[in-house]
Amino acid sequence: MTFITRRRIARRTVLRGLGASLALPLLDGMVPALSAQRAPNRVQRLGVVYVPNGMAMHKWTPITSGAGPEHTAFEFSPTLKALEPFRDKLVVIGGLSVARNAGDTVHARASTRFLTGVPPRENLSDSSGNGIRADISMDQVAARAFAEHTQLASLELGLDANDFAGFCDGGYSCTYTSTISWRGPTTPLPMEYNPRVVFERLFGDGGTTDAAARRARLEKNRSILDSVNAGIARLVRDLGAADRSKLQEYFEAVRDVERRIQKAEEQGDLDLPTLEQPAGIPANYEDHAKLMFDLQVLAYQADLTRVITFMMARELSGRGYPQIGVSDAHHSISHHSNDPSKLEPYSKINAYHVSLFSYYVQKLQATPDGDGSLLDHMALLFGCGMSDGNGHTPRNLPIVLVGGAARGGRYVNHPGEPSLANLHLTLLDRLGTPIEKLGDSDGKLDLLSI
Amino acid sequence: MPENGIPLVRIVLPLRDGGHYHTTAFRAGTRRETLVLRSGRLLTALCALIFAGAGYWRVSAASPQTASVGPIPSTQSSAATALVDRYCITCHNARVRAGGLLLDDASRAPVAANVQAWEKVVRKLRTGMMPPAGMPRPDAATISAVVAALETELDGAANASPPGGPMVHRLNRAEYQNAIRDLLGVEIDGRAMLPGDSSDQGFDNLAEVLSVSPALLDRYLSAARKISRLAVGAQTTPDSATYQLGKNWDQNARMSEELPFGSSGGVAVSHEFPVDGEYTVRVRLQTNIYDYILGLGNRHDMDVRLDGARLQRFTIGGPEHGAPPPVGYAGSIFGDAQWEKYAREADANLEVRFRAKAGRRVVGVSFVKDPSWAAEGIRQPRQIGNSLAQNEKIDEQPGVATVTISGPFKVDASGDQAGRPIFLCRPTAAQEEPCARRILERLARRAYRRPATTEQIETLLSFYRIGRREGRFEAGIQYALERLLCSPEFLFRIERASGSSVRSDDFDLASRLSFFLWSSIPDDELLDLAARGALGDRATLERQVKRMLADRRSSALVENFASQWLVVRNVRDVSPDPDLYAEFNENLRDALRRETELFVDYVIRQDRSVLDFLTADYTFVNERLARHYGIPGVYGSHFRRVTIADPNRRGLLGQGGVLMVTAYPNRTSPVLRGKWLLDNFLGSPPPPPPPDVDTSLQATGEGGRAATVRERLEMHRRNPSCAACHAPMDPLGFALENFDAIGAWRTTDSGKPVDANGALPDGTVLNGPVGLQKFLLAQREQFVTTLTEKLLMYSLGRKVDYRYAPAVRRIRRAAAANDYRWSSIVLGIVESTPFQMRSSGS
Repeated sequence: MTFITRRRIARRTVLRGLGASLALPLLDGMVPALSAQRAPNRVQRLGVVYVPNGMAMHKWTPITSGAGPEHTAFEFSPTLKALEPFRDKLVVIGGLSVARNAGDTVHARASTRFLTGVPPRENLSDSSGNGIRADISMDQVAARAFAEHTQLASLELGLDANDFAGFCDGGYSCTYTSTISWRGPTTPLPMEYNPRVVFERLFGDGGTTDAAARRARLEKNRSILDSVNAGIARLVRDLGAADRSKLQEYFEAVRDVERRIQKAEEQGDLDLPTLEQPAGIPANYEDHAKLMFDLQVLAYQADLTRVITFMMARELSGRGYPQIGVSDAHHSISHHSNDPSKLEPYSKINAYHVSLFSYYVQKLQATPDGDGSLLDHMALLFGCGMSDGNGHTPRNLPIVLVGGAARGGRYVNHPGEPSLANLHLTLLDRLGTPIEKLGDSDGKLDLLSI
Repeated sequence: MPENGIPLVRIVLPLRDGGHYHTTAFRAGTRRETLVLRSGRLLTALCALIFAGAGYWRVSAASPQTASVGPIPSTQSSAATALVDRYCITCHNARVRAGGLLLDDASRAPVAANVQAWEKVVRKLRTGMMPPAGMPRPDAATISAVVAALETELDGAANASPPGGPMVHRLNRAEYQNAIRDLLGVEIDGRAMLPGDSSDQGFDNLAEVLSVSPALLDRYLSAARKISRLAVGAQTTPDSATYQLGKNWDQNARMSEELPFGSSGGVAVSHEFPVDGEYTVRVRLQTNIYDYILGLGNRHDMDVRLDGARLQRFTIGGPEHGAPPPVGYAGSIFGDAQWEKYAREADANLEVRFRAKAGRRVVGVSFVKDPSWAAEGIRQPRQIGNSLAQNEKIDEQPGVATVTISGPFKVDASGDQAGRPIFLCRPTAAQEEPCARRILERLARRAYRRPATTEQIETLLSFYRIGRREGRFEAGIQYALERLLCSPEFLFRIERASGSSVRSDDFDLASRLSFFLWSSIPDDELLDLAARGALGDRATLERQVKRMLADRRSSALVENFASQWLVVRNVRDVSPDPDLYAEFNENLRDALRRETELFVDYVIRQDRSVLDFLTADYTFVNERLARHYGIPGVYGSHFRRVTIADPNRRGLLGQGGVLMVTAYPNRTSPVLRGKWLLDNFLGSPPPPPPPDVDTSLQATGEGGRAATVRERLEMHRRNPSCAACHAPMDPLGFALENFDAIGAWRTTDSGKPVDANGALPDGTVLNGPVGLQKFLLAQREQFVTTLTEKLLMYSLGRKVDYRYAPAVRRIRRAAAANDYRWSSIVLGIVESTPFQMRSSGS
């Protein structure tokens, strides 16, 4: 049990005649987030980072010599090179598939099936007019379980503007390619791409994570509420019973918010790196991506949420990457027809995404959490819902699992084309939020020995 | 049949003297179960034997009212008694107790003793719901006479004091937004700052359901901070706002009145600039799904304007940027390398940096229309589906996707913020606190809707002092303003009780008036009159009502009352099936919304008769909408009043917005339309369907061919248990079957001619929309009654039940003498007892 030492004692507790926290029951809110409310070795965070349009697989697949399916001695491929410093913390997973069940192999399939295990339904109007349908995604299964512990059940982020309206690939609604997270069969979740909005959602409208400034803000709010409280008594005097109940509601709300401010004030002593509220969306892609990664690290660090999904570009993205010398549209060159002049820039984009991802992994590893780092207590998934972008191949998906969820230093190439959903079942089990079935799953992957 | 009864068995036995017995047994499990029997001991005993075992003798639990009602009013004694004896006591007698109502001689009590039951009788008779379909009914004149007599009795029995109701009424989101606008001159986006409100009876301003949760309070705190900073000009760190134009807008005509003539596409956004300083506007253009920008085959000029003055002109597109692919993008056909690059980066530099003064300004982004080739509106069949998503539309007009306004980047040092309406005075060091006091007194008077008490001012001043200590004068005012915006006196309308029913004090009345007609706080003129106690004078009150209706703020009645009464608020959310209604796009949606808004606004401002809602031969259209309706000769995107030549289109029922919110995305629904009419025009809402009913309709008729909507409903109406409720409802909807799900006129449905005739249970035949208009006009008293009830409910923030019926009748009669003008209904409401009086809380 961690006792509160140098905290300011809440004014209310003083008024009640209690001098020290020792005499109070240890409420949840008075325990700082970093304390050992959880077993330090438990993996209880989930992260998913998605990239679109597949991979140049000949540059992705690790270079191996032995028979497999499990390889502990392997060479990092050119695309995966940036992750080499984290060899012991990751598993490269091959052989998984989203090929089962009916459905076209279009881009909408890749993004939709990635976390749900079901294909998208083509737009049909039933009498309720809602034709979009998939199923709940694995991150939302975890989010439901963790929701009571954190301020936000989950966070869905992206780098492209949301465009749920209209038709995209193959007559499917654009919703399917704009998201990978589904709260339910008909509830796709928008991926927020404005860092300012994300900041506000996490840290309120204080404008900064700086502890002193936040404390000042909370103090101001509390003064207002105290003052309001004093005034309510006067008002309530003159009212009848039925009307009092409305103001009573208000009074209760005031007290509730004050309680939460108190909690937040305690948490405010957390040592967060100072980040000022972003003004808007950074002009260039790399800054935007890194800023979003920074926000994700902060969110985990402050335990504001334990489930974050992030699309580095929407599926079917046509973005160009001039900063690495590739000015062609991503989607266009993913249809390479095995032409080396297209394969080369295609794999460069893949490597670039991986390098930005490694920036994120590095930060997670450098952030202490309990008796290890954030990365140690996390299941972080990176990959795409299709392998070769030219044929939208739904087999042998490019997947990397980073973090403490599985024994690292391996490349596992699963035989028999198990469904990707089996991996999700395994991960949910590791997170302590197991379910029986997800999409087209038919069991767990035994990652510890295979 | 009583409502909700589902007959299982019907036995008709001949009477000895030539009448007949009806015996109908009802299935257990329905909401009301009654056994209908003509009094006659033998038959009673017989049926008791048959049905007793099955437990059919249950009196409805849904009507807790004591069943005995009074004698027929003496004025029409014999005629009325004869009527009741002949038509009513078949079911409504002491043994049977249909609907829990007794009308036979066994029980007598004065009308005044059971007002609730008799009001119900009056309502059922007026709306034709009783006698029920299939039972004999008297002629219309007889019914009218009896109803009139009953109403006279009921009016006489009316309780002098109005019903008690909640006197703590939270401001809803729209009212909060307007209050901020009128208090501080700051326009906020309420929908971004606050969550939506619960609604009941179709309205979101009923006190009972406006509650406060901790989450809402959190938002109030956050909003108070943002708003107070905006108001004093303290918002000096850069922020950005992005305005998005969906892909489904056709941007090939002038998009707004605030964009210049000869412009095409783009958008005009109204943006609140927090302080004097430097800002940027960044524009991104519409792309296809592969992120290629549309419309770059020809050169286009794009202008960015601030309050109409051009800031910069950009040129995009044209042959110098490379050769585009020969056909629309199909996944593997490319233009040359230069084109490929340009097509994705053409909007990289569409950014302007400029100086702006604080306040609400219009930023306009638009293209210059090239007259040589462009045609406005729809040209070729609109692309849909995959082709719409993929094609780069090289030869067409580009479109604006987003406009991002960021700043302030360099705040004007000299920016004195003097122009801000909040600063009544600008103090020197010595006079700061007196100046602060003046400002706060004025703000509190407007915000709390009455002069502030010393205590309240002292509270605000204490916050001012804290803020002043940490910053300058403005910071002090800002913190005090934050405190003010969180006060319950601001967030709630609190009317103080003092004893039993009394006239509201003038300040409360001023608030009721302004929230009714403006959805906002009272202005200084109203508050001054209230301070003088002048609102009790009838002439003054009438003058104020007329002034308020003429003020532009009365558009709140359109945005808040009418949009909810007519349910057209849903126009923004409906999604017609894009395969069936390919021509539907955002331009049409916007036009449908505007039409109804402008129409209702016209009726209010020109003080027209509310019967115009039923049969007006004018409406407001632009070219897009006129094309939709088949009205020739209308060009341009601005709205103008037109006379409607086609009698089918008259009134609200010819307006696409109404027709669209009463349909499904892929078909019309006579049931929804009939229900809408019963709810909103005729005041006799149908009960919901029984819980286990399957409301999806089979799409095929006999022989597997597609069935019309009417045919599909016909099959369901053959089932008598459904017919009970659908017989008065469906024919109203059938009359509108010529209007499809987005309000266009059609003559066939699923290959067969539309049959727009319907027959109501009382025998009235409705032939198409014109027949329906005639019917509604004949029911004008009921229409005006319903409108008055809804408007009264909206004005009081309380549900309106039978106790308000006498007041509603009084208002209706007064309005009838005045041609049912809008202002006379409003005035009637304002002068009514419920509006003027309040009672102590119960």
